[in-house]
This record gives sequence, structure tokens and C-alpha cells, in this order.
Amino acid sequence: MKQNTTSTERIKEYVINNAAGTNNFQIDESTLLFEEGLFDSMGFMALIAFLQEEYNIQANDDELVVENFESINAIVTYVNKKLSA
Amino acid sequence: MKNKPFTKNIIKLEDIEKTCNNIIEKLKDDVYNKLQRKGGIVGISGGIDSSVTLALAVKAFGKENVTGILLPEKDSSPDSAMLANKLAEKFGIKTIVENISDALDGFGCYRRRDEAMQRVFPEYDPKTYKSKIAIKQDVLNQNMPSIFSLVIIDKNGNQKSKMLPMNEYLQIVAASNFKQRSRMSMLYYHAEALHYAVIGTPNKHEVEQGFFVKYGDGGADVMPIGDLYKSQVYEIAAYLGVPQEIIDRTPTTDTYSAEQTQEEFFYQLPFELMDLIWYGWENDYDTGDVAYALNLKPNQIEHVYKTFERKMKTTEYLRLAPIRDYK
Repeated sequence: MKQNTTSTERIKEYVINNAAGTNNFQIDESTLLFEEGLFDSMGFMALIAFLQEEYNIQANDDELVVENFESINAIVTYVNKKLSA
Repeated sequence: MKNKPFTKNIIKLEDIEKTCNNIIEKLKDDVYNKLQRKGGIVGISGGIDSSVTLALAVKAFGKENVTGILLPEKDSSPDSAMLANKLAEKFGIKTIVENISDALDGFGCYRRRDEAMQRVFPEYDPKTYKSKIAIKQDVLNQNMPSIFSLVIIDKNGNQKSKMLPMNEYLQIVAASNFKQRSRMSMLYYHAEALHYAVIGTPNKHEVEQGFFVKYGDGGADVMPIGDLYKSQVYEIAAYLGVPQEIIDRTPTTDTYSAEQTQEEFFYQLPFELMDLIWYGWENDYDTGDVAYALNLKPNQIEHVYKTFERKMKTTEYLRLAPIRDYK
């Protein structure tokens, strides 16, 4: 459970600090990051680099699907799944 | 004003001759009067865009006032020069061949690119492997930004692919962009030596979706096909008599050593489909109307609309002139 909390806060902090065009926009755990245009290709690649650096997670090609990255909640679920694998 | 009903033929040119004449007249006015130049330089690659641009330039200035420049380098496909020569022969223009490989070596283009590729695939050796960059996401069925993969192919055709980390992706693209920027420099050398204008070759999609290199192929004095959809470029190609082999050739980037289509590197859709969805997007057509005409689902069109929005936004900097309002 501790791992979940840590991941959520750390990932949320990263997303909020690195999302594009967030003026007057409140990001929460379920905000759809791609739907809202908050992450472009560079942002997405940087997010993957952050996950690798922070959690030593290597994203495989077949994991690069919207379900794994569409929101903070989705990213946390993905990270926890990778960490427990 | 209410949009006309969306159909598969909505962007088909109604009067090709009139469209061509309008472009030709404007090209003459821009080059002779605005730019005060007496002819045109066109970099010809054997692709459809540069071929149509050249054909329009010949109509505008006459074949004696247009020079085609071939700019091969060591990763170029031999087909490019062969087709460019066929085009030049067809339109009766003078050509100059400028091999830019030594200039690229001087810039460290190949070395910088290969270093980044070797960090992804340590076994990659440019002498024995071919390489390219590809996008794997399915734009119709997923709304997410592009992630790029490096693909290497050995002598026996065995292929390996790996997602590109950001730093390696940026270095490969930055190094490869020396190609387009070196070509631009050479085109301007010839243009200035002849007091001609550089006639740019990007089409509407390349300009608006940002599929060009700033101060590379985006560096030109005029862009006569810059407002034409790719399918309209093909219509004009047939009308102006561009050789059929050029019309039949799959659009490629001709930038990486492995064969790479524009679709796999950037657009993620066949151009016929992309043209129509782009038209629907820029004219605010309902996704349901576009989906019905194209036999797709509304959410698929919605995904592509989102991709277009993202590309327009993220490539805005490419279209910006230097910002100088600092007073």
C-alpha cells in the first residue's frame, strides 16, 4: 500500500510539473492526459524516461497503449504492475 | 456558411487547368515582381512533390529559366536520381548534381546519428546494417502521442526494432536534419549565383502538420504547392504529364538508409484517407459525417482529429519566423 501511495504522489508531481499548457487547469488522478492535450510526443517520451529512471521500468513496445498511460491512475497501475512482475 | 455534404470526392479539384493557371500566374508575380528574381531553382528528388513543383515552375518561367538540382548523399536511394533525371528530361530543363555526402561528413551528420543508434543497438554498424525510424501506434484506434522506434535491418534482412529513448531520438533527428539543411544551403548557392528564387516543394500537409525541417526543406522563397492536399498534387501531376513512374512511387523520406515511407515515419495513415480527414477537421465537419463517408467509426475520426490538433500545436514553432517584437 505504501508503494501505491508513493507512486501516486511522485507520478502526480511529475505529471503536474511537466504537462503542457496547464494554465487554469486542475489535473487530478483521473484527468485524461492525452484527451486534454497535456502530453505530446516529447512529453510522453520524457515520461517514459522518468519512469525508467525513477522505478527502473523498461516499457516494452506492446505496453505503449493508451490504457497504460491515459491518466495518473493508469500510470500508477501500470508502474505497480511492472514493479510486482 | 453551411458546409457542403462530406463525400469522398470533396477535395477533388473541380477544374485542374484553372487551379494550375492560378498557381502559375501567382508564381510568376511572386518571383518576378515581389522577389525580383528571374527564374527558379528546384531541388528534385524523384518524388511527387518536387516533380509537380518543377513542372509548375517550368510552366511559369519557361524551361530555360528553371534549373533542377539533384542532391544525393550516401543514404539516398538510387531510384531518386534515376527518376529525377527522367523528370528533367521530360520537361527539358538543365540539371546539376551536387553530392552532399562530404559536407555531411564534415558536419558529423552520420557519426552523430550512428553514435545515438549504437546506444540503442550496440551491434549496429552502418556498413552492414540499414536503419530507419518508425511510429508503431495505430492512429485510428488510439488517441496517444507518437512514440518512435529505431529499426535496424542486417544484410540477411533480419529486422530488430526498439523504442527510442528521448535523448537518442532527438540526437538522431538533429543529426539527420543536417541533410535537409545542407540541401537548402546548396539550393541557395545556385539560386544566388543565377539570381533565381528557391522554389520550395512542401505540400499542405508537410507545412501544416510540421513534416519539414526548419531552415531545411522548409527554407525557400515560395511554396507553390503549399496549399494543396497530397491527392490534389497527384491530380496535377497527371495533368502536367509528370512521368508515371514518379506518380506510381510510394512517397518516401529518402533520409534513412532503410526504405521508409512517409506514412510509417510521420503520417500514420495512407494519404488518401489523411487528406479527407484533414479536410473534415479543418472545416469543422462532424466526426459522424466524415466516418459515414469513409466507412469508419466516429471515434476513429475523433482520434485522428486529436492527432491533427496535437501535431499542429507541437509543430507551431517550425512555422514561426524569428520572434523579434521585444521592444
